[in-house]
Amino acid sequence: MRIIVHKAKCQGHARCSAQAPDVFKLDDEGYILPGDIEVAEGGQLLASRGARSCPERALELDPTPAARVVPDAIEPRVWRA
Amino acid sequence: MTINAVPDHVPPEMVRDFSLFTSPGMAPTPNGDPHAAVACVHAGPPIFYSPYNTRDGRGTWVITRAADQRRVLQDAETFSSHRSIFSSALGENWPMIPLELDPPAHGVFRSLLNPLLSPKRVVVLEPKVRERAITLILRIAASGTSCDVMKDFAFPFTVSIFLRLLGLPDHRLDTFVGWAKDLLHGDDVKRPAAARTIVAFIDELATKRRKEPVDDFMTFIVQAQVEGRRLTEEEVRGIGVLVFIAGLDTVAAAIGFGLAYLARNIKDQDLLRREPDRIVLAAEELLRAYPSVQIIRVATKDIDFEGAPIRKGDYVSCAAMIANRDPAEFECPNTVDLAREDNRHAAFGYGPHRCLGSHLARREIVIGLEEWLARIPAFRIQNATAPITSGGHLFGIENLILDWS
Ligand code: HEM
Ligand code: SF4
Repeated sequence: MRIIVHKAKCQGHARCSAQAPDVFKLDDEGYILPGDIEVAEGGQLLASRGARSCPERALELDPTPAARVVPDAIEPRVWRA
Repeated sequence: MTINAVPDHVPPEMVRDFSLFTSPGMAPTPNGDPHAAVACVHAGPPIFYSPYNTRDGRGTWVITRAADQRRVLQDAETFSSHRSIFSSALGENWPMIPLELDPPAHGVFRSLLNPLLSPKRVVVLEPKVRERAITLILRIAASGTSCDVMKDFAFPFTVSIFLRLLGLPDHRLDTFVGWAKDLLHGDDVKRPAAARTIVAFIDELATKRRKEPVDDFMTFIVQAQVEGRRLTEEEVRGIGVLVFIAGLDTVAAAIGFGLAYLARNIKDQDLLRREPDRIVLAAEELLRAYPSVQIIRVATKDIDFEGAPIRKGDYVSCAAMIANRDPAEFECPNTVDLAREDNRHAAFGYGPHRCLGSHLARREIVIGLEEWLARIPAFRIQNATAPITSGGHLFGIENLILDWS
């Protein structure tokens, strides 16, 4: 999972890092560091909670797309009588 | 109440008889619930015009949805903070800094001040905050089984933290509490008198720290440089006065409304006392349900905003108490749920002016609740007393007599 950081929107509420300090790193003024965040396997729950806690909507969740379903694994069906 | 003329550009159907100052429940009311009283606006249109919605009786647009408030407050170019409220009450004209500055000047001062109240800095301040809370509560616990939380705890606590921040000794506590009371709740004579006293005090303190620097907030300010120069006297004053008034009533009200809720909801009180780990989350919910600030902006240009013809110079009100009860933003907004997750409330505002003291305020509130619940047994509102609540520019609670006999 990746978190897209819209740095310009960050106003330093620090809610993200209150939820997940290891995922969301702040600078000395208390604003999020620039750059998108790659979240490690076990950290997803906390990280998404942190992203959802941003009052400014500066953090966007970018879930890795679910594994694609192979089309011919689905029984073809004809919707005609 | 004077009936103001509604400006011609405001369509009559957008005018509503609603005011944070004069609507039912806004005047000082025993056992009132001003936050619930304003939540009723969500039954109406998302934006409307209130003909009487500032302390000096001006009309404002009222933005009710949290998402729209976010848009207004994030767009400082269109919605300006430049108002000089405090100094104009004295017949002067200097801004409180950074509150009444717009970008880009705002950002210069904000960057200067951010590190002084950053999350990291608050970790350093925390032990002193906790020590103050414990001292005050122990004194209360030793002197009986009831007290007025506002007078005996909330105000002395917030004022003494301000004094620590400014490096001032506690023996002046009562003087400062008196100034703060007069400024925030005094009549038309006391208010400006207190304002003058505070300005004179800040000016004097700045002069002293220029001559004899010590390791404190004011010394930092008088020695600081912005854009390669020292701050002017007016800038130093604008910062000092703001830090004085921004963190007193707001934190005290949060503690007061929070403890009033817990006094009336014994189950929640017991739960937090038994499981204090829940207090951090609970404090957020109490801030959501009982915020204190109405933010006002001035339109810098004509803009049609979600169907409202806002014109240059119009006032635009973004009241946290309204955004925080928006059903589009919060499930069951009128229910206090101390375990509420994803609680992106607006108590500290949105956008570049987001409360600079929010990290400190949060710690003060959490510590206040933790130490109170740890040291005071099951408490309730004392029989035959009633907390008096009020609306207005800053929602507040005047008295809160608790009893744990
Ligand atoms: C629960 C307590 C508090 C609440 C609800 C609160 C609320 C707010 C709000 C809503 C704003 C934004 C105003 C606007 O956008 O026009 C603000 C700004 C500010 N607050 Fe607080 N505040 C609290 C405590 C504090 C404390 C403890 C301090 C200082 C130690 C503080 C210092 C400031 C400053 C300096 C600003 C101006 C920031 C700027 O304009 O960039 N506040 N506060
Ligand atoms: S919660 Fe949002 S605004 Fe606050 S520091 Fe994190 S990214 Fe920035």
